[in-house]
Amino acid sequence: MNIAWKEMKKNKARFLILGSIVFLVSLLTFIISGLANGLSQDNAALIKKLPDGTFYMTKEADKNYNLSRINHSVQEKVLNKQKNAAAISIQMGFLNDSEGKQRSVAFVTSTDSMLFKNVKKGEIILDKSMKEEGIKIGDTFTNNQYNGKFVVKGFVDNQKFSHAPVAFINMEDYKEMYRVNDMQLIFIPGGDGAPSFAGLQAFSNNQFLSTISSYKAEQMSLNMIIWFLVVISGMLFAIFFYMMNVQKIGLYGILKAIGVKTSALFKMMWTQMVFITAISLSLSVALSQIFNIAAPKGLPFHLPLVTTVQLSVIFLLIGFIGATLSGIQIKKVEPLQAIQQGEV
Amino acid sequence: MTIFTIDEVRKTFSIGEINEEILKGINLSLKEGEVTALVGASGSGKSTLLTIAAGLQPASDGQVIFEGQNITTMSSEQVRKIRANNFGFVFQFAHLVPFLTVEEQLMLMLDVSESKLKKREQKKEIDKILKLVEMDHRKNAYPASLSGGERQRVAIARAIIHKPKVLFADEPTASLDSKRSKDVMTLISNLTKTLNITTLMVTHDEEMLSFADRIIKMSDGQILPSAV
Ligand SMILES: Nc1ncnc2c1ncn2[C@@H]1O[C@H](COP(=O)(O)OP(=O)(O)O)[C@@H](O)[C@H]1O
Ligand SMILES: [Mg+2]
Repeated sequence: MNIAWKEMKKNKARFLILGSIVFLVSLLTFIISGLANGLSQDNAALIKKLPDGTFYMTKEADKNYNLSRINHSVQEKVLNKQKNAAAISIQMGFLNDSEGKQRSVAFVTSTDSMLFKNVKKGEIILDKSMKEEGIKIGDTFTNNQYNGKFVVKGFVDNQKFSHAPVAFINMEDYKEMYRVNDMQLIFIPGGDGAPSFAGLQAFSNNQFLSTISSYKAEQMSLNMIIWFLVVISGMLFAIFFYMMNVQKIGLYGILKAIGVKTSALFKMMWTQMVFITAISLSLSVALSQIFNIAAPKGLPFHLPLVTTVQLSVIFLLIGFIGATLSGIQIKKVEPLQAIQQGEV
Repeated sequence: MTIFTIDEVRKTFSIGEINEEILKGINLSLKEGEVTALVGASGSGKSTLLTIAAGLQPASDGQVIFEGQNITTMSSEQVRKIRANNFGFVFQFAHLVPFLTVEEQLMLMLDVSESKLKKREQKKEIDKILKLVEMDHRKNAYPASLSGGERQRVAIARAIIHKPKVLFADEPTASLDSKRSKDVMTLISNLTKTLNITTLMVTHDEEMLSFADRIIKMSDGQILPSAV
């Protein structure tokens, strides 16, 4: 006879409450981590969407890509050696539309490359978020440092930098606007064996991201929030399982007195715990994925299924450990205790 | 025939620095099919003796011998097995499992005692025992909806469903009124006779003694010599 199941059937309310707590707390964690991920995408999708590779900036720049100026001859040397490499520059700036409205964008330019959009002089390709704001192909923009006009040529999916939409422009235009001849960065795609070049410092994608101090600070606080949530929810689960077991001490005593094995009692508790958490977690994974799809366009929300599954596994593990730790009480219960305590 | 022997059993409880000897060398043997009543003032050690005999707590010294085996030296798993297969318990309160129906309480006991019966035979057996305790009409009721007397009758049914060799009862009628007490006692003594169960029973109630084959008086952790 499956007593674990019988108990859940009879005490639906109690298990429903436990299940709702697991559901709500895990949903909260999923949503917050979706927002954190969304913000991080919003802050650096331009970099995050690149394949693994190596960034280079000058040693003098001291990890600040804005100060990096890679000498043109050095750039030529590197690009000649590395077929897929690209030299790029990023500058925050503004675009003014015909009505004089200013929009903040991240201007990005690069040498010929598959990884970045290449545009002709006077043209511009924008992140899709600008399309959602009503900008159409053929619209024109001006810029205070640029004599001509930019004509919108197209849009790209999810290209953001420093919370601003990316605007890809031609290198000549870039040079005119910022009065520089040299690019800030060189990117070489490909995971391992990054070559080293004299005067240049190499960074992996993640290392490069953490040189951007605003990105690093934001990520640290977001990760902190997620981990605190995970730890606190894990403790909450454990406490709730513990309290449930404490309430059942008398019951465990009776069951032991009539001869039920301690291992059978553990099995009963695990069955209930796994059943409740599995259902609650599936529900909250499903709901958070629906939210992922249905979230309002402007809301930076990004929650891959893998992330929710990983977090769920952590929750299951913590729940299991919590239940088992509180199960130590089951081991300690003397059948006599229940009998002497009177009616339950 | 002697089925159960308690030999020089002592029990000492330590409360802080103080050691108090509650059982001071008890000798007692139970004969098959007999009801032995244990009487004595409150605090004289009756419950302690009964729970030690039933393997629910260890003795400090001495032996408890069931069918030739000394249970005081067994592992807790061995004692559990003996309890599950050979002993039945009835206490002052029924101690039923709150989330199981009357029928399921008995089913669980059969599971625990590793009954070899098939599901259908188990159900038949349960019906038979429930009829004996006149609870067959409440087979699907949960304990919360039963009266104290009804619960106690279910507890008795649970204590004997697996055909134990020894039944331990600690003031089984203490929570019942006198009419119900008599019914329960009649039931226990009848079952003892029909199923040939050996019973050790603690009672306060003088009236209940008429159901006993033998009366043992306890005082201050010792058995008083008395005429049977
Ligand atoms: N677990 C225990 N720890 C300390 N003292 C106990 C314990 N169990 C029983 N006692 C003491 O042993 C004595 C006998 O108790 P008990 O066997 O319950 O007596 P009775 O059932 O005859 O009333 C009492 O004084 C009681 O306080
Ligand atoms: Mg007592």
